[in-house]
Amino acid sequence: MNHTKKTLLLLSILLLGGILAFILFLSNATRSMNYGDMRTVLTTTTATFGSLLGIITAGLMFTHGRFSELASELGEKAPSYLSETLSLEKVQHLGTRLLALRKAFLQLQKETTVAEEKNLYGKIEEGVSSIFVDFVVLLNTKLQQQGLRTPDFMVSEMEPSLYAKYREKRKVIKKEWQVTELIKRMVDAWEGSTSFFAERSETRTSLQSDLRSSVTILKLREKMDTDSKNIATEVSQVLEEVGTEVSKIGKMLHHDRIPQMLSQMNHASTIRGKYFYLALVFIATPLFVNLMILPQLSEGTTQFFQPIISATSSLSVMGILFLLLYIHEILNV
Amino acid sequence: MKKSKEEQIRLLVSTHSFPPLEVVIPILENAGRGEKELSNQLHDTDVFLANGLKEILGLKDKNMRAVAKIFGVLLGSHGQRFEPVELSESRFSLTVSDCPMMHVGKNVSTSVRSKYCDLVCSAGSKAIAETILGQESVCAWDKALIKGAGKCKVVFTLGRKNESH
Repeated sequence: MNHTKKTLLLLSILLLGGILAFILFLSNATRSMNYGDMRTVLTTTTATFGSLLGIITAGLMFTHGRFSELASELGEKAPSYLSETLSLEKVQHLGTRLLALRKAFLQLQKETTVAEEKNLYGKIEEGVSSIFVDFVVLLNTKLQQQGLRTPDFMVSEMEPSLYAKYREKRKVIKKEWQVTELIKRMVDAWEGSTSFFAERSETRTSLQSDLRSSVTILKLREKMDTDSKNIATEVSQVLEEVGTEVSKIGKMLHHDRIPQMLSQMNHASTIRGKYFYLALVFIATPLFVNLMILPQLSEGTTQFFQPIISATSSLSVMGILFLLLYIHEILNV
Repeated sequence: MKKSKEEQIRLLVSTHSFPPLEVVIPILENAGRGEKELSNQLHDTDVFLANGLKEILGLKDKNMRAVAKIFGVLLGSHGQRFEPVELSESRFSLTVSDCPMMHVGKNVSTSVRSKYCDLVCSAGSKAIAETILGQESVCAWDKALIKGAGKCKVVFTLGRKNESH
């Protein structure tokens, strides 16, 4: 299920819970209740919220544990990726080829008048820039790991727009496991997602396939117009060189199950974040309100507290629905 | 290390791709020429792919079953959706519910699409007939998909054109 569908499902369940809670609230608020009943309702809902919060906290601890476990496993693997696959000479060579390619596609983009062709070259230029920046970020991260203080190799050759991307990507890498995430993103951008579960509707093409398309177009142009620049061969060479390197890294990633681990981490991270805050809103807040009311509740204050108690007890319906969703999400980690 | 057959097919298909129609058609329409060059390029690519697949899959027979096998792999590798309809000694047909021509920009008229549909399909069918069947055959497609019918029927028949109808 994709992200939009999941969000829609979550929203519709919460909306359904909200409507149920509102209906319950209306029916309870209009009915007069005596002190004994109110005390029972208050104690029961407080206990319910307490249990729900306990379960959610346990789930959160489990998810956090899993997240840390995966992060440390990925963190251990990251240095081997950097040392085995990205030597300084290799990255320098590929970087030079990629920069030349970027320049060529910028030029082609300027020269063409056909919108579709312009778009394709623009997309390639963007992709090539991104891969180039990724290589430089990985190289400098590796050099830093090896003890060089603030290494910024190949940065001086960058244009301001590339440098801005470089700074942004370097800033994101704060922990070792994030290196593997960057490598995976780079491989996906080049090869496209090869996941068995990739949806067929995912139409964004990979940089590799865009470059191949451009080669076929450039060859056709060369046949049609003998005066046109002969860059199809050059593009094919870079495609082959970068493809070989990225494919090696991609194979290693799949062998080490890095994509699955990263996807599990993303899932765990969502549960730690979004779901925990929802738990606080729907469960901890009414629990806190109930705990505040409980000592104040007496024969004299029954009338005053009745609407609030009706509201919080109705919210426990939403809490239970939410708990089911939460358990479903945890089971998928 | 010897590559597996799957790996060989993946490599073959990925290194011999077709130019994207959604980009090529506007270029040629803008230039007002280049159809013959495109047709030759498509034919050469199809011949290469069909020969490569024939070798990888170890197909020696020159019959409709071999055509069906190659055609299926070729369509699938280019993300086309199809359903088999008929396979006999002298006839093979299938319906295609999605093809690259469907993704050509909306500003391209049906007549232009129809012209390129003929160009692409004739190049492909000629290549398959030459490399797999090695004998006279006819391929017909009804272009219903680009006219909005949802499915297009492709039929391969052994024999000369006037014999098949």
